[in-house]
Amino acid sequence: MAEEHTTTESVLSEPLTWQEICARYPDEWVALVEIDWVDEDDLDFRSARVAGHGKTRREPLDQARPLREHYDEIGHFFTGPIRVPLRTYMMP
Amino acid sequence: MVTRFDRESDLIIIKASIWGPGGMTPASLALDTGSAHTVIAASIIDDLGYSPRHGEAITTVRTAVGKEQGYVLRISRFRTLRFTVSDFPVHVFDLPDGFGIDGLVGLSFLRQFNVELRLAEGRLLVDRIAA
Repeated sequence: MAEEHTTTESVLSEPLTWQEICARYPDEWVALVEIDWVDEDDLDFRSARVAGHGKTRREPLDQARPLREHYDEIGHFFTGPIRVPLRTYMMP
Repeated sequence: MVTRFDRESDLIIIKASIWGPGGMTPASLALDTGSAHTVIAASIIDDLGYSPRHGEAITTVRTAVGKEQGYVLRISRFRTLRFTVSDFPVHVFDLPDGFGIDGLVGLSFLRQFNVELRLAEGRLLVDRIAA
Protein backbone atom coordinates (compact mmCIF):
# COMPACT_ATOMS: atom_id res chain seq x y z
CA MET A 1 0.00 0.00 0.00
CA ALA A 2 1.38 3.38 -0.99
CA GLU A 3 1.94 5.65 1.96
CA GLU A 4 0.69 9.19 1.57
CA HIS A 5 3.16 11.75 2.82
CA THR A 6 3.88 15.47 2.66
CA THR A 7 7.19 16.53 1.24
CA THR A 8 9.00 19.71 2.18
CA GLU A 9 11.76 19.15 -0.38
CA SER A 10 11.93 21.64 -3.23
CA VAL A 11 12.20 20.14 -6.73
CA LEU A 12 12.01 22.56 -9.65
CA SER A 13 9.98 21.58 -12.68
CA GLU A 14 10.88 22.51 -16.22
CA PRO A 15 9.24 25.73 -17.49
CA LEU A 16 5.51 25.10 -17.88
CA THR A 17 2.53 27.10 -19.10
CA TRP A 18 -0.36 27.76 -16.69
CA GLN A 19 -2.46 25.18 -18.55
CA GLU A 20 0.29 22.56 -18.12
CA ILE A 21 0.65 23.42 -14.41
CA CYS A 22 -3.11 23.05 -13.89
CA ALA A 23 -3.11 19.68 -15.69
CA ARG A 24 -0.14 18.38 -13.70
CA TYR A 25 -1.30 19.65 -10.28
CA PRO A 26 -5.12 19.85 -10.41
CA ASP A 27 -6.87 21.60 -7.50
CA GLU A 28 -3.59 22.30 -5.73
CA TRP A 29 -1.69 25.31 -4.47
CA VAL A 30 1.59 25.89 -6.32
CA ALA A 31 4.68 28.00 -5.67
CA LEU A 32 6.18 29.35 -8.89
CA VAL A 33 9.58 30.82 -9.74
CA GLU A 34 11.14 32.20 -12.92
CA ILE A 35 7.72 33.53 -13.92
CA ASP A 36 7.76 34.97 -17.42
CA TRP A 37 4.99 37.56 -17.07
CA VAL A 38 3.08 38.78 -20.10
CA ASP A 39 2.35 41.93 -18.10
CA GLU A 40 3.82 42.50 -14.63
CA ASP A 41 0.45 43.72 -13.33
CA ASP A 42 -1.78 40.96 -14.72
CA LEU A 43 -2.07 37.32 -13.76
CA ASP A 44 -1.08 36.12 -17.25
CA PHE A 45 2.34 34.55 -17.71
CA ARG A 46 3.96 32.61 -20.53
CA SER A 47 5.73 30.04 -18.36
CA ALA A 48 7.01 29.37 -14.86
CA ARG A 49 8.80 26.63 -12.96
CA VAL A 50 6.96 24.88 -10.12
CA ALA A 51 8.97 24.97 -6.89
CA GLY A 52 6.32 23.41 -4.66
CA HIS A 53 2.77 22.12 -4.68
CA GLY A 54 0.20 20.70 -2.30
CA LYS A 55 -3.41 20.61 -1.17
CA THR A 56 -2.89 23.27 1.48
CA ARG A 57 -1.78 26.86 0.97
CA ARG A 58 1.20 26.36 3.24
CA GLU A 59 2.72 23.21 1.65
CA PRO A 60 4.17 24.77 -1.52
CA LEU A 61 5.48 27.73 0.46
CA ASP A 62 7.30 25.38 2.83
CA GLN A 63 8.77 23.43 -0.11
CA ALA A 64 9.91 26.60 -1.89
CA ARG A 65 11.35 28.31 1.20
CA PRO A 66 14.94 27.09 0.59
CA LEU A 67 14.80 28.90 -2.77
CA ARG A 68 14.09 32.29 -1.17
CA GLU A 69 17.81 33.05 -1.16
CA HIS A 70 17.96 32.44 -4.94
CA TYR A 71 14.71 34.08 -6.01
CA ASP A 72 13.35 37.49 -5.03
CA GLU A 73 9.95 36.54 -6.40
CA ILE A 74 8.06 33.37 -5.53
CA GLY A 75 4.49 33.30 -6.83
CA HIS A 76 1.63 31.56 -5.07
CA PHE A 77 -1.45 30.39 -6.96
CA PHE A 78 -4.30 27.87 -6.89
CA THR A 79 -4.90 25.67 -9.95
CA GLY A 80 -8.54 24.83 -9.22
CA PRO A 81 -11.74 26.83 -9.50
CA ILE A 82 -11.97 29.83 -7.16
CA ARG A 83 -14.95 29.66 -4.81
CA VAL A 84 -16.77 32.41 -3.02
CA PRO A 85 -15.93 32.61 0.68
CA LEU A 86 -18.80 33.03 3.12
CA ARG A 87 -17.87 35.55 5.75
CA THR A 88 -18.67 38.80 7.40
CA TYR A 89 -16.22 40.97 9.25
CA MET A 90 -16.18 42.35 12.74
CA MET A 91 -14.41 45.62 13.20
CA PRO A 92 -11.27 45.26 15.31
CA MET B 1 -4.89 52.67 -15.62
CA VAL B 2 -6.69 49.60 -16.88
CA THR B 3 -6.59 46.14 -15.32
CA ARG B 4 -8.29 43.18 -16.93
CA PHE B 5 -10.01 40.34 -15.07
CA ASP B 6 -11.84 37.16 -15.98
CA ARG B 7 -15.48 38.22 -16.32
CA GLU B 8 -16.58 34.54 -16.25
CA SER B 9 -15.21 34.02 -12.73
CA ASP B 10 -17.52 34.16 -9.68
CA LEU B 11 -15.17 36.72 -8.14
CA ILE B 12 -13.09 39.58 -9.53
CA ILE B 13 -9.58 38.18 -9.15
CA ILE B 14 -6.64 40.54 -9.50
CA LYS B 15 -2.92 40.18 -9.14
CA ALA B 16 -1.16 41.74 -6.17
CA SER B 17 2.51 41.89 -5.29
CA ILE B 18 3.38 41.83 -1.61
CA TRP B 19 6.84 42.69 -0.28
CA GLY B 20 8.41 41.71 3.01
CA PRO B 21 11.78 41.22 4.66
CA GLY B 22 12.16 37.89 2.81
CA GLY B 23 11.34 39.04 -0.71
CA MET B 24 8.23 39.47 -2.84
CA THR B 25 5.24 37.28 -3.56
CA PRO B 26 2.75 37.72 -6.39
CA ALA B 27 -0.66 36.51 -5.24
CA SER B 28 -4.29 36.32 -6.36
CA LEU B 29 -6.70 38.52 -4.41
CA ALA B 30 -10.42 39.06 -4.76
CA LEU B 31 -11.62 42.63 -5.23
CA ASP B 32 -14.18 43.19 -2.48
CA THR B 33 -15.92 46.55 -2.18
CA GLY B 34 -17.93 45.03 0.68
CA SER B 35 -14.83 44.71 2.85
CA ALA B 36 -13.54 47.73 4.74
CA HIS B 37 -10.14 46.09 5.01
CA THR B 38 -7.54 44.45 2.84
CA VAL B 39 -6.99 40.89 4.03
CA ILE B 40 -3.98 38.64 3.36
CA ALA B 41 -3.57 34.96 4.29
CA ALA B 42 -1.25 34.35 7.22
CA SER B 43 0.80 31.75 5.35
CA ILE B 44 1.81 34.32 2.70
CA ILE B 45 2.69 36.89 5.35
CA ASP B 46 4.72 34.35 7.35
CA ASP B 47 6.62 33.28 4.23
CA LEU B 48 7.62 36.89 3.53
CA GLY B 49 9.38 37.05 6.87
CA TYR B 50 6.76 38.86 8.93
CA SER B 51 5.37 37.49 12.17
CA PRO B 52 2.62 38.41 14.62
CA ARG B 53 5.33 40.26 16.58
CA HIS B 54 5.23 42.89 13.81
CA GLY B 55 1.47 43.27 14.30
CA GLU B 56 -0.15 46.48 15.52
CA ALA B 57 -3.46 45.17 16.86
CA ILE B 58 -5.43 42.00 17.34
CA THR B 59 -8.49 41.68 15.14
CA THR B 60 -11.32 39.17 14.78
CA VAL B 61 -13.13 37.78 11.76
CA ARG B 62 -16.49 36.04 11.96
CA THR B 63 -17.08 33.30 9.39
CA ALA B 64 -19.84 30.78 8.75
CA VAL B 65 -18.08 28.33 11.04
CA GLY B 66 -17.11 30.62 13.89
CA LYS B 67 -14.73 33.37 14.94
CA GLU B 68 -11.06 33.55 14.15
CA GLN B 69 -8.39 35.84 15.48
CA GLY B 70 -5.81 37.62 13.34
CA TYR B 71 -3.83 40.81 13.49
CA VAL B 72 -3.19 44.10 11.68
CA LEU B 73 0.22 44.45 10.08
CA ARG B 74 1.86 47.19 8.02
CA ILE B 75 3.51 45.63 4.99
CA SER B 76 6.47 47.48 3.52
CA ARG B 77 5.13 47.60 -0.04
CA PHE B 78 1.90 46.51 -1.73
CA ARG B 79 1.08 46.72 -5.42
CA THR B 80 -2.15 45.98 -7.23
CA LEU B 81 -4.22 47.53 -10.03
CA ARG B 82 -0.93 49.07 -11.30
CA PHE B 83 -0.43 51.23 -8.19
CA THR B 84 2.08 50.75 -5.38
CA VAL B 85 1.65 51.89 -1.79
CA SER B 86 4.12 51.73 1.08
CA ASP B 87 3.67 50.98 4.77
CA PHE B 88 0.20 49.63 4.00
CA PRO B 89 -1.96 48.14 6.81
CA VAL B 90 -3.54 44.75 6.09
CA HIS B 91 -5.49 42.29 8.19
CA VAL B 92 -3.78 38.92 8.49
CA PHE B 93 -5.88 35.77 8.92
CA ASP B 94 -5.62 32.03 8.36
CA LEU B 95 -7.92 31.86 5.35
CA PRO B 96 -9.41 28.47 4.41
CA ASP B 97 -7.38 26.65 1.74
CA GLY B 98 -10.32 25.72 -0.49
CA PHE B 99 -11.27 29.15 -1.79
CA GLY B 100 -8.24 29.54 -4.06
CA ILE B 101 -7.44 33.14 -3.15
CA ASP B 102 -4.78 34.64 -0.91
CA GLY B 103 -6.98 37.42 0.39
CA LEU B 104 -9.15 40.41 -0.42
CA VAL B 105 -8.49 43.91 -1.68
CA GLY B 106 -10.91 46.05 0.27
CA LEU B 107 -11.78 49.71 0.64
CA SER B 108 -8.64 50.45 2.66
CA PHE B 109 -6.80 50.29 -0.68
CA LEU B 110 -9.56 51.20 -3.12
CA ARG B 111 -10.64 54.46 -1.47
CA GLN B 112 -7.36 56.10 -2.53
CA PHE B 113 -8.60 55.91 -6.12
CA ASN B 114 -11.53 56.42 -8.41
CA VAL B 115 -12.45 52.91 -9.50
CA GLU B 116 -14.73 52.15 -12.40
CA LEU B 117 -15.86 48.55 -12.65
CA ARG B 118 -16.82 47.50 -16.17
CA LEU B 119 -18.11 44.01 -15.46
CA ALA B 120 -19.36 43.19 -18.96
CA GLU B 121 -15.96 44.11 -20.42
CA GLY B 122 -13.86 42.48 -17.68
CA ARG B 123 -12.02 45.75 -17.11
CA LEU B 124 -11.22 47.88 -14.06
CA LEU B 125 -10.39 51.53 -14.65
CA VAL B 126 -8.43 53.05 -11.79
CA ASP B 127 -7.26 56.65 -11.37
CA ARG B 128 -5.48 58.15 -8.41
CA ILE B 129 -7.48 60.89 -6.72
CA ALA B 130 -5.83 64.25 -7.14
CA ALA B 131 -4.42 65.63 -3.87
